[in-house]
Amino acid sequence: MDPTAITLATTFVPFLAFAVALLFFMRQPVVAKAIVLAGGLVSVAGSLVLLAGGPREPVRFLWFSSGDVTLHFGFIYDGLSLAFGAVVALITLCIQTYSVGYMAKDPAQTRFFAMLGLFGWAMLSFVYAVDLLQSFIFWELVGLASFFLIGFWYEKPAAAAAAKKAFIMTRVGDVGLFIGILIILNTVGMFDIPGLLDPETGLRAQVSPGMLTLVMVLVFVGIMGKSAQFPLHTWLPDAMQGPTPVSALLHSATMVAAGVYLFARLNPLFMASEATLLTVLCISTVTALLSSTIAMVERDIKKVLAYSSISQLGFMLMALAAGGFFAGVFHLITHALFKALLFLCAGSYIHHCDSMEIEEIGRRGGRKMRWTTAGLLIGGGALAGIPPLAGFWSKEEIFAALSHNGAMVFVAAAFLAALLTAYYTFRMIFLILLPASEEHHGDAHGHGHDSPAVMLGPMMLLAAGAVLAGFGGGWLARLLDVEREHHTLLAMLPAIGVVALGIAWAWWDFGRRSAARTGLVARVRPLHTLFVNKWYIDAFYAAVVARLTDLLASFFHTVENKGLDDGFDGAARGFVESGWLTARLQSGWVQSYAGTAVVMFALFGIYLGLR
Amino acid sequence: MTLTAYLLTGLLLFSLGLITVLSRRNQIAILVGTELMMTAASLNFLAFNRFTALDPVVGQIVVLVIIGLAAAEVSIFLSILMVLYRSRHSIDVEEMRELKG
Repeated sequence: MDPTAITLATTFVPFLAFAVALLFFMRQPVVAKAIVLAGGLVSVAGSLVLLAGGPREPVRFLWFSSGDVTLHFGFIYDGLSLAFGAVVALITLCIQTYSVGYMAKDPAQTRFFAMLGLFGWAMLSFVYAVDLLQSFIFWELVGLASFFLIGFWYEKPAAAAAAKKAFIMTRVGDVGLFIGILIILNTVGMFDIPGLLDPETGLRAQVSPGMLTLVMVLVFVGIMGKSAQFPLHTWLPDAMQGPTPVSALLHSATMVAAGVYLFARLNPLFMASEATLLTVLCISTVTALLSSTIAMVERDIKKVLAYSSISQLGFMLMALAAGGFFAGVFHLITHALFKALLFLCAGSYIHHCDSMEIEEIGRRGGRKMRWTTAGLLIGGGALAGIPPLAGFWSKEEIFAALSHNGAMVFVAAAFLAALLTAYYTFRMIFLILLPASEEHHGDAHGHGHDSPAVMLGPMMLLAAGAVLAGFGGGWLARLLDVEREHHTLLAMLPAIGVVALGIAWAWWDFGRRSAARTGLVARVRPLHTLFVNKWYIDAFYAAVVARLTDLLASFFHTVENKGLDDGFDGAARGFVESGWLTARLQSGWVQSYAGTAVVMFALFGIYLGLR
Repeated sequence: MTLTAYLLTGLLLFSLGLITVLSRRNQIAILVGTELMMTAASLNFLAFNRFTALDPVVGQIVVLVIIGLAAAEVSIFLSILMVLYRSRHSIDVEEMRELKG
């Protein structure tokens, strides 16, 4: 079958499902669910068929051309888009299936599922886009869909605020990206991604190195917003206000992954600009460390996962910026699998224990939910990087990439971040698995019974992915057409050691019988205050940025009200007054008009005569 | 008689008519003034016709048209005046200022 038709089906069917569900089945959630799930299934099938077909030449359709500028819509079929497209479709379908159970009692289910369809459409279209402007359009649509989903419970003020925050903060980054795209339009006059990447005729050949750095930094600003890198990361933890499946989707394969994907897509251009790479490396390192410290003290299970996402995204960008293209993409894919799994587990706990507090979940017997707990162990192990789970292999690749190309300080930072990751992940696991005290009650709620199969099924599928994906590295490297070096066991020892150290530390603080269950950080007051308050970044935004914006806004408000409005009002009043003045000339007395006409006529005659 | 004399007479008649139109308050007087002005115009046409025109017929035709026009105008003007008088009991032009701005 024609790959174009398959791609169209893969990307567009979720949109059709979205439109049909929202337009015709608002009151029949069962039908709407079936439609959206069918759409997701088509996407999975299509993306897998494309993946099986292997890389091939991109296809392009003319959208329009004006002067020298020609815009195309089209699909790119390299290893990156094929592999990631399949992961996106698969995870979206898993989460849609899981939502059938999770959202079963929600009155607005149709809207929820329709928006999941919209999300899938936007993200898949973004992944396969061949044109930079096309990418940008779907990039924004991804942001829009996540806005709808984060604010799904819009009657809750916190959710509405979180949705707005996510939208605005990513938009701050998108402004940078858009300026970058405009500069590309201005200098090269084309948006075709393979064309731009071409070393002889692409962007590198046509602009000066300084200009290239400027463009790539601007593009990275967009990535910072989307992939929640410091200092634009604060929207992501707030986005937890959405339903948990949304968090799972947002944090794994869509939305935040879009930024890293764009980096990987434009990787050769980033590689050509040393200054940008150093900037990216610094920012992502700061992000990875900063967010792991916050995750160490966070009490909300979803927020812990959110901060771990930020930190893992930092990891991916560190790898990519250090030249580890394969490592970054590999971690992007493994992270998508195990982070989706972790969020689905968290959702399962929240669903049954009615609490987001980790300790509360432990106290209410979360560990008795066997399947969910198994999922948590696998996902958490993968996140921490326990061999042989997926996260271990991809992190190992990242360490290797960093030690090849990065300065020692970045390698050390990566190891530190990995240590903290293992620590906070196992803090969460120990608090749930080995609670200090446990409520014993046999209420009708049925704690200890696990979630329905429709929720467990996707979790098991993702768990299988989180276990097995690590062994797919060689296959992925062949698909991406990159050299992958062989790692000896000796080279892996530091990574294993760091993970073991992190787990031991977490065990000492939270796991053992007589543990204080407060953590090391909690005993160092100033650090604890700093971490709990999220390094005061949100507070800084509220106190400085928001206030400056308010000041600026009130200034413009004054200009607009006092200057423009009053100015126009005054001018209008002036016209009215002068109108009344001239109206007096119109006496209604016909003879005076006639007299005036005669006099004017006479004067005109005299003028003509004298001329 | 020269052309100038005719033209001066026409000018005199026209001025008298104009003054009447502009100064009198009675609309019938104004009507009389317009008739005078038209007469002045007719006189001018005839004078030019007599002294300078190549084809003497043209001026006379114009004058005949003016006479016909004047008759039509008077009839319409008087009928309007009748209606006006019926509704306002006055034909004083200074009282008619509804179109004052």
